[in-house]
Amino acid sequence: MEDFLYEAVEIIQTIWDGILFGSTYALIGIGFTLIFGAMGKLNMAYAGAAIAGAYVGLAVSLFFDATIIFVFAVSAVISTLLGYIVYQTCFRFIPTHNHLAALMASVGGLFFIDELIVLATLGSPMNFPGLFEDAYFEIGPFGIRGDLLFVFLIGIVSTLLLLYVLFKTRLGMATRAVAQQDIAAQLCGINIHRTNSITFSIAGLLGGIAGAMTAAAVGVLSPVMTVPLTIKGLIVTVIGGLGSIPGAIIAGLFVGAFENFFLYIRGIDERDMYVVALLFIFLIFRPNGIFSKTINRD
Amino acid sequence: MLKIQSISKHFGGVKALNELDLEVEEGEIYGVIGPNGSGKSTLVNVICGIFLPTEGDVIFEGQILSENPTHQRLKKGIARTFQNIRLFPNLTVWQNLWVARNSVEDIKTESSFYRWFGKSSIVKKEIEKMLEFSNLGNRADELASSLAFGEQRRLELARALATKPRLLLLDEPAAGMNKDEIRDLDGRIRSMQLQGITIILIEHVMELVMGVTDRIAVLNFGSKIAEGNPQEIQNNDAVQEAYLGYSEDD
Repeated sequence: MEDFLYEAVEIIQTIWDGILFGSTYALIGIGFTLIFGAMGKLNMAYAGAAIAGAYVGLAVSLFFDATIIFVFAVSAVISTLLGYIVYQTCFRFIPTHNHLAALMASVGGLFFIDELIVLATLGSPMNFPGLFEDAYFEIGPFGIRGDLLFVFLIGIVSTLLLLYVLFKTRLGMATRAVAQQDIAAQLCGINIHRTNSITFSIAGLLGGIAGAMTAAAVGVLSPVMTVPLTIKGLIVTVIGGLGSIPGAIIAGLFVGAFENFFLYIRGIDERDMYVVALLFIFLIFRPNGIFSKTINRD
Repeated sequence: MLKIQSISKHFGGVKALNELDLEVEEGEIYGVIGPNGSGKSTLVNVICGIFLPTEGDVIFEGQILSENPTHQRLKKGIARTFQNIRLFPNLTVWQNLWVARNSVEDIKTESSFYRWFGKSSIVKKEIEKMLEFSNLGNRADELASSLAFGEQRRLELARALATKPRLLLLDEPAAGMNKDEIRDLDGRIRSMQLQGITIILIEHVMELVMGVTDRIAVLNFGSKIAEGNPQEIQNNDAVQEAYLGYSEDD
């Protein structure tokens, strides 16, 4: 009985930790979904740009004695720039109806960014500073890790700010107008290329924060993080429903919990297998995501 | 005001417009009619810049527009509505109008901060007026997709007006309307003319076109086969021949 109780506490703790870490996936998923909403296309270079942003943030902290908030800010700024650059190079000049070309261009972008990171760091992992690493809050038999809580809070604040901009400001309204009806948007005087580059930049901003959050929660940065983060981000986007922001948030937290649960019961070797199996289950039974009645790309 | 100078538009081997010349005077209501497939919609798309012409120039108030993308033409004063309504389905009625109103940058008296959040009282008042003009005052906070068909048409028209156009292209605005709605639309078009807006009306509904327009051009196979006031057009042999060939469609 006592063993069972202990086990139950451990599992709940694992899932809770997973939810906190899942906020990074949620942010990455929101980025994918924003871009998909705006253009109906996937930006495969997105998570790569996020990690690259975190690297530059880390580099800055090595040269200057920078606080962690500053590192996050630098990551965010660099990823914003990368988002803009990826739009200009991989999307802007490719005909809109040619989906495969833009997809492959952005896959190229992902590998290009990856190679840049390997070149700059010689491919070896580097330690990334966390915040409140020693803090630990106990609630009954459960505990909350300070660094994870910090990451989670940053995720919440970023998401709330994004939602505010999207739903309450003129800029957000223009972005949503382009996503919903691009020809009519042009006839409301909106420059689509400008709005799309802003969407990519905002997504990049979130990505940079997510990249730094991932690195801060894991404690290291490594070039081998880009592809798994891309894949997890895509899984979150599909499970949440392409183009749905609430879906991406829920799916991100869910995937975080799900993978941590399987990490606990099956170990690190098998964990990602179950995450991918989850993707297959969704593709078969709920191909449009959790909120499958969301047909609109908003 | 608007000059279409020997415009051609080819889609592959199909000549949708073939060396077409038109001239629209300031302040008039100019009708464009023609059988299905005669190039009317292509003409609208070329004027507002959704398609670039294969050859020829669009000249608006003395300026050649051929290189300007759609959003720049809108800012010069060319707006339109669509045959198949194109609203922003998941924005509210009010937001649809707000997005359009944002294209106009003539407010200097209020801080951009207020405009950024849609709180400028000038903008609010203007949108209020638009809502009233289109009888949508009580639907302001509903999603555009939840409106009835007639309301959607009125909203689309109001949205085009919110961009403060000087030339308004109406692409079959009466399609799917009943007699009452057409009469209502007739009144709206006249009142827009009184506000100083030049209107190009593309329409199949003859009772509307013949009643409201000052001049009419008839297109067939991408070329103009006749031009004149409604009476002249009704008695024109070439027009009757073109229409008889397609009589079931019209």
